[in-house]
Amino acid sequence: MFTRFTDRSRRPVEAAFEEARMLGHDSLGDEDLLLGILRADEGMAAEALSSLGVTLEDARDESERMLSDALSSIGISLEDIRREAGDAFDVSLPDDRKISYSPQAKNALVGARKEMRRLGDGHLGAEHVLLGILGNEDGTAVRMLNRMGVSPETLEERLFELRGRAAG
Amino acid sequence: MDRKTKTWIEGPIEGPEDPREGLEAVVVLRRTLEALEAAQVENAFVAGWSWAQIAEVLGVSKQAVHKKHAKRIRARYLGQPPGRRGRGA
Repeated sequence: MFTRFTDRSRRPVEAAFEEARMLGHDSLGDEDLLLGILRADEGMAAEALSSLGVTLEDARDESERMLSDALSSIGISLEDIRREAGDAFDVSLPDDRKISYSPQAKNALVGARKEMRRLGDGHLGAEHVLLGILGNEDGTAVRMLNRMGVSPETLEERLFELRGRAAG
Repeated sequence: MDRKTKTWIEGPIEGPEDPREGLEAVVVLRRTLEALEAAQVENAFVAGWSWAQIAEVLGVSKQAVHKKHAKRIRARYLGQPPGRRGRGA
């Protein structure tokens, strides 16, 4: 399924797995793909995000905040748990723990490939992955971006602006 | 309100307003529980508890605890063989 990645899309996907492992996500979500792009892409996708003020640090924090809010909704404070458990508390997953793609992440990557074909591009890049992520309208990544004040429409527009500029 | 948009229950609903948040909470809780177990096992180990003692309280076999936690904790406390702390090892 994911065999035709070029370096430009493979690196962000690998980085996404590292982010997921660090954050203790036992399945790779589309928000992790977004974090992967922020961490490892050096192309248009990362540029579009950073031009709208989305940084890796902020996105990690927002991801954590979403989880913390979810726990609050059932009356549990993640902060309290952390404080009580002390220094040994570490959500990151060990290296030998297998992390699989979530349905949302799979969908984003399938969408990425479709975007690549639709745009007539020969190689799968991080910008296609970003478009694939934005295609999950109710996805975690889109909700995360909205919470950060960035609408998917604005981000998509910015991406196409940058593409237009690169095409001269 | 349109009948179709009504929830099946009238009046205040217990639990999170958005079902998604409730479901997400379960996922976070599962991950948190895992990290919490790792932390508490490590704390017990550092306090000098044996694998057998830890396993007894957790209600699982000594082998299960060892398999799940020994490698990680050993890596953190190099030169201090798991289960031998406090016995002059």
